[in-house]
Parts: sequence; C-alpha cells; structure tokens
Amino acid sequence: MVVVSVLTALGLYLAQRNITANAERDLQQEFQTELSSLHRLQELRHAALVERCRILAEKPRIHAALEDNALDLLYPSAKDELRDLMEGGEPAPGQAASTLRARFYRFLDSTGAVLPPPNSKDVGILSKAAEAELAFNKLPDQQQIGYLPDTDSGKEILDEVTAVPIFSTETGDLISALVVGFKPFEPVTRRAGTGILSGTWVDGRLHLPSLSKPARDVLAAEIRGVPMNTDHTQNNFTVHINGAPHLLFYKRLNPNSLFPAAYEICVYPLASWIAQLHQLRWQIGGGGMALLLGGFVASHFVAGRFSKPMEQLAVDSEKNRARRKRAEAALASTSEKLKRSTRYSAGASHQLKSPVAVLRAGLESLLAREGFDSKIYEELSALLHQTHRLAGVIDDLLLLSRMDAGHLEIASEPVNLSQLIDEWLDDLSAVPDSIDVKIEKDFPIELNVAGEKRYTSLIVQNLLENARKYNRRGGRIRVSAQQNADHVLLTIGNTGCPIPREAQPHIFDRFHRGGTGSSISGHGLGLNLARDLARLHGGDIALLRSENDWTEFQVRFPVAQPAPDPAS
Amino acid sequence: MGLRGSACFNAVLSLLPISALADAVVEGRVELPKSHSAPVVVKRYEIVTQGGVLSTQPPLAVVYLEGAFPKPKSPPTKQVAQKDLAFLPPLLPIQTGTRVEFPNLDDTYHSVFSYSPAKRFDLGRYRPEERPIPSEAFDTAGLVTLRCDIHEHMRGLILVLNTPYFVMTDAEGRFRLRGLPPGQYTLKAWIDSKTTREKPVALKNGETLHVDFP
Repeated sequence: MVVVSVLTALGLYLAQRNITANAERDLQQEFQTELSSLHRLQELRHAALVERCRILAEKPRIHAALEDNALDLLYPSAKDELRDLMEGGEPAPGQAASTLRARFYRFLDSTGAVLPPPNSKDVGILSKAAEAELAFNKLPDQQQIGYLPDTDSGKEILDEVTAVPIFSTETGDLISALVVGFKPFEPVTRRAGTGILSGTWVDGRLHLPSLSKPARDVLAAEIRGVPMNTDHTQNNFTVHINGAPHLLFYKRLNPNSLFPAAYEICVYPLASWIAQLHQLRWQIGGGGMALLLGGFVASHFVAGRFSKPMEQLAVDSEKNRARRKRAEAALASTSEKLKRSTRYSAGASHQLKSPVAVLRAGLESLLAREGFDSKIYEELSALLHQTHRLAGVIDDLLLLSRMDAGHLEIASEPVNLSQLIDEWLDDLSAVPDSIDVKIEKDFPIELNVAGEKRYTSLIVQNLLENARKYNRRGGRIRVSAQQNADHVLLTIGNTGCPIPREAQPHIFDRFHRGGTGSSISGHGLGLNLARDLARLHGGDIALLRSENDWTEFQVRFPVAQPAPDPAS
Repeated sequence: MGLRGSACFNAVLSLLPISALADAVVEGRVELPKSHSAPVVVKRYEIVTQGGVLSTQPPLAVVYLEGAFPKPKSPPTKQVAQKDLAFLPPLLPIQTGTRVEFPNLDDTYHSVFSYSPAKRFDLGRYRPEERPIPSEAFDTAGLVTLRCDIHEHMRGLILVLNTPYFVMTDAEGRFRLRGLPPGQYTLKAWIDSKTTREKPVALKNGETLHVDFP
C-alpha cells in the first residue's frame, strides 16, 4: 500500500514537472513564432520602404538638383516626387497606403548634415532635436533603418526612418542621402485580450504607449539592467511590471544599422499563466489522489470478492487430498500387480526357452538319424517346424513382456530403412515355399529413420512376412516409402483376401489372428509386437485399408536427426 | 549622320551673309582627348560623363570667337530632337537669344528639363504629336545640361555662346571658321564641361590664320 502510494506520488510529481516544462517550452515557442512572424513582416515592410525610397532617390529631378548645382530646387522637386508618399496626398487606390505613408523626409548633404528644407510644412514637421538625430557623421553608403522617438502635438510617437544613399550619376560619388520617416508599424494581428504588450526599445528608451508612465519607467530601468546591446539579436528574460512577473522577448529590429540599435519588445504577463499552471498542478495532484483512493477502494472490494472462493477452495482441496491419497494407494497396488505380472511373463519366457531348445536339438538329432520310415521324417520335420514357431512365439513374448515391464530401452541411431527393406525382400524371395508374388518397390535409395536397427528390422520383417503370408498366388506386394518433415511413411500393400471389416479393429490385439484360416502359420503376436515397437520408437502402425483384394498397412517412423558433426 | 551633317551645313549657311562682308578665316586643329573607340565618321556620338565631366563621345570640340557682338535681330531657331531615347544632336552650340525646339521623335513620352544655372526650364511630359513643338529661348551664355524626367540616362548639352562665330570640329579636331570680322579677339575651344582652351588672335580681312590648340 505504502509502496503504491509512494510510486503514485512520484509518478504524479514527475508528470506534473514534465507538463510544467512542456507548458513553459510551448509558451516560449509560441512567442518565438509570433515574434519571428512579426519580424518577417517587418523585414518585408523594410524592404518595401527601402525600395520605395531608392526609386525616389533615383528621380532625375532630384539628381539634377544635386548634380547641376540647383539645391534650391531639391526640396521643391522632391515635393512633387514624394507627393503621394506624404500624408495628405491622395492614397493610391488599392494600396495599403497608411502603412507606407511617410510622415517626413529630409535630404542630407555630402557631409551627412541635414539640408535645411525651405518650408518644413511640406517635408513633415520635426522637432529640432529629432531632426538633428537624422544626421550622420559620414554619409552611409548603404540603406539604413532606424527608429526615431519624437513628440507630435504632445503625443509620443516613434518614426521608422529609412535612409537611402544617393550616388551622383555623373561622378559615381556619394553626394547625398534621402531620409524618410514612416509611421511605425502597428500590426493589426496583435492578439487583444491576452495581455501581450509590444513596444520598441531604442537607444535606452522604451516606447510602449499602452503602459502607464510609472510602470514604463520601472520596466525601462529593469531592461537597462540587462546587457541587451551585446551580440544577442534576440533573447528573453523575466521582468516585473507592477509587481507581477512578465516574460519579455526582444529582437533587434535594425541589425547592422548606423542608427541607434532598436529592439522589438514583447511582454507577456506570466500571472495568468502561472495561475493556469497552478490550477493544472492542482488538477493533476487532485486527480492523482482521487485515482489512488479509488484504486484502494476498488482493490479492497476486489480482494474481498476474491478471498471467498479462496477459502472455499482450501476446504475443497482438503477433501480432494484425502481422495487423491486413496486413489494413489489403489494405483500403487495396481502398478505392483502389473509389475508382478510382467515379471512373471519375463520369467516364464526364460523358463520356456530352454525346454524348446532342448526339444529342437532332440528333433534335429532324430532327423539326422537314418533308418526311419519316410512318414516319420515328415512328422519329425513338422514337429521341428513347430519348435521354430514356438521359439518365435517365446522370443516375441519375451520382447513384449520386457516392453510391458518398461525394461526395453531403445538405443536410437540412424537406420537406413531402404537398405533394411531390400534385405528383407531378398530374404522373402529366397523362402523355399514362396508363392509367386510380384514385388513393386517405390522408395529412395536412402531413407534414414531413428531407431534401433534390431527392432526396426523386426517391424519391417513382420509386415513384409504378413504381406507374403496373406497374399494369393500370382498376387503382388507393393512397398513404398517417402519422407515428409518429421516422419518417414512406409506403406506396404498386398493382394489377397481382405481382413473382414468386423475384425479390422482387433488386428493389433495380442493373440488375434485376423479371422484367416488356420492354413496360414502365425501366432497372433506379430502385428501387436510391431505396433508396440513402432510406438516405442515414437511412430505408429495403422491399417490404411483392406478391401477388394488389397490390404495396406502404413508405418510411421521418426526421421533420423542428421548425424552430429564428428569434428565437434 | 544626316542630321549632324545638315546641322553643320546649316551653321555654315547661316554665316554666309556675314562672310560676304568680312572674310577673315581661322583654321586649325584642336587636339582632342584620346577616344577609347576608333574614330568612325558615321558613328553616332553621345554625351558621356567621366568623373563628373560631360563631353561628347567620340570627342568633338566647339571653336568660337569670343567678343562683344550684337545679338541678331531675328535669332535662328534650332532643334534638339529626342530620338531613340537620346538627344540629337547631343551637343548643340548656339548664340544667345536662339530659340531651340525639342521635337519628340520617339513613340513615347519625354519630359525635357534642365536645372542648369544658365537655363532652368521644364517642358513637362509631351508626346510626339505635341504642337507647337515645345521650345525654349536661351538668353544666358553657359552650358545647359538637358535631362529627361522619364528616362534618367538621357543627357544633352547646349552650349550657349555670346557670339555668332562658332563651329564644331570634325572627329580629328580640324576646324575652319570663315567670315570673321577683323580685329583683336580671343579664340576659344570648348572641349568638355571642365575644359575650354583659348588663344588671342588678330584677324585681318582676306587673311587665313592658322591656330592649333595643343
């Protein structure tokens, strides 16, 4: 419980911190985006202003006045040329005229001083101090953007000033400059209601008309404390206005200008943002706590529901245990009985083998003796045959009993099944009383199965012998084998009287003989033995079909794993 | 070439009545600044500015006899046309009191004006079919720079002189000034807006004086 609580609290704390950091970053990014889009707008405007002024500065009359020693005609000529640029003139239709409207213009002489206009009403009224600020120590050879604070009928204004150089068309020398003051840029897209203030910082003075004078003075003092006039063209820092924290962004408006450095300033009140953040924090914390509490209640409820069946289970399992003990005892006695039976079977087999061997030896020696009636030889021969049969039965029984006792262990190795089949087919054809059957073979030269060769051979032998034994004269045996992913499938089919349908489910039973006549030798253990051996190897035997003169068995052998690399 | 030739021819013709009375002649050669391009007679020449100096290219000079001569009672009318966005002829020497017409031979507006101290005027915009042909009378001696308010590259020069005795040199700088009154004068050669050379001359009836401006 405590661990869960601590982990949850830690998770909440981390999530909260993460969200705060994200929010802060988002705010900054939003600001940077706004500022840079504003700046792009400014740049476009500057380019437009400069281009406008450059075209004006190239007017032949202005050049004529400057070059043909007619300075008295300079301002009158310019008055005509700049008529539509100046306030009061007819704005060109379709033009966003107000943003490109000049408030004043002046020419500078070759030393950079302001050429006094004959009538300042025509060229826009400027205070003496402001006019003096337009002068350069040396004429600039490139256009300059500057910001000039001034007062117009008691109102504080800021002019955006563009200075373009004028080169003589005759000598190529820098002879003058045209300085035009435009109304400052007031983007209408500025979002109202968010409390964002924007203004300009020029030459250590703050121009931010929307802020009250005392607040502005405090802010200006704070900005002055920050080294803005360094390499940074843009940055941000936190300031306080009326005691409330604000985020201030600034960006240089006129980089590389000979005019005093001017910065666009955006001030964003952090108070509402901090309040939002607080609220968010509380929401996260509260939500987390509610979640935790809910979790505890739910887990208690669930645990209660779970414990009831558990208790029942404990009672039941006690009963089951007693029952199982009884079953185990019964199983143990059964198993003991079974073991005894297999031990008996094994012992019996051993006890049986030696008398048969003695019997066979006796019969063979009698057969070797001469002087008996030929009928006796036949009898002896039949008896000897029976002893062979008996030995076979005993061998099979021995093997079966070992298997039943679980003593038969398979030493699995790759066995070439194809070779085994070929050997047994050879043997079959060599049997003296072999009936005339045709043998069809369809298997690759080498098919390796996993098993012990003795027993695999026994399986094949059993099936092939059956195929011969239960065949008819002039019939055929078909042996085919193929390999798939994990198994080798050996199919042995033979012609001959099919196994009766009702006998088919029992053909693998011990001592069952498929209802065939007694004319065929056999003891009913072969198929049973073969199937047990096949199963012991991880395979199986099945009767595929037995009808219409055709009986087909299929053996499934496991495929031999490739022999391990002798080097390893 | 045709216009230039006819302008020279006109200048010679206008002097004929005087030459019948006074027939002192001055001839010689003005050494002209080296031209960057080879002097080709048929080549159109134009006003160029180099280091603030206006001159014709290829270089040509105006040779004139300075002195106090009476103004003509009915001053001749001359023309400086605007053709192919250039003034033609680019340099026109005239006597004070001469009226100059500025016909527009292009298919576009021109707006000929001058802010030169010798003559300030502004003809405003006008089209080729403007009638009467805008003209100005030049009453003060001096060099007048012609400009077009629409085509800022256009430049033309009118050299207003207080004398009826003037002539333009050929491309090699050779000149011949006929029908001059006898007496002590100053012969001047205007080479560009900053360079005028001068030499004192004593002219006698029936004599041909040879003067070279080095």
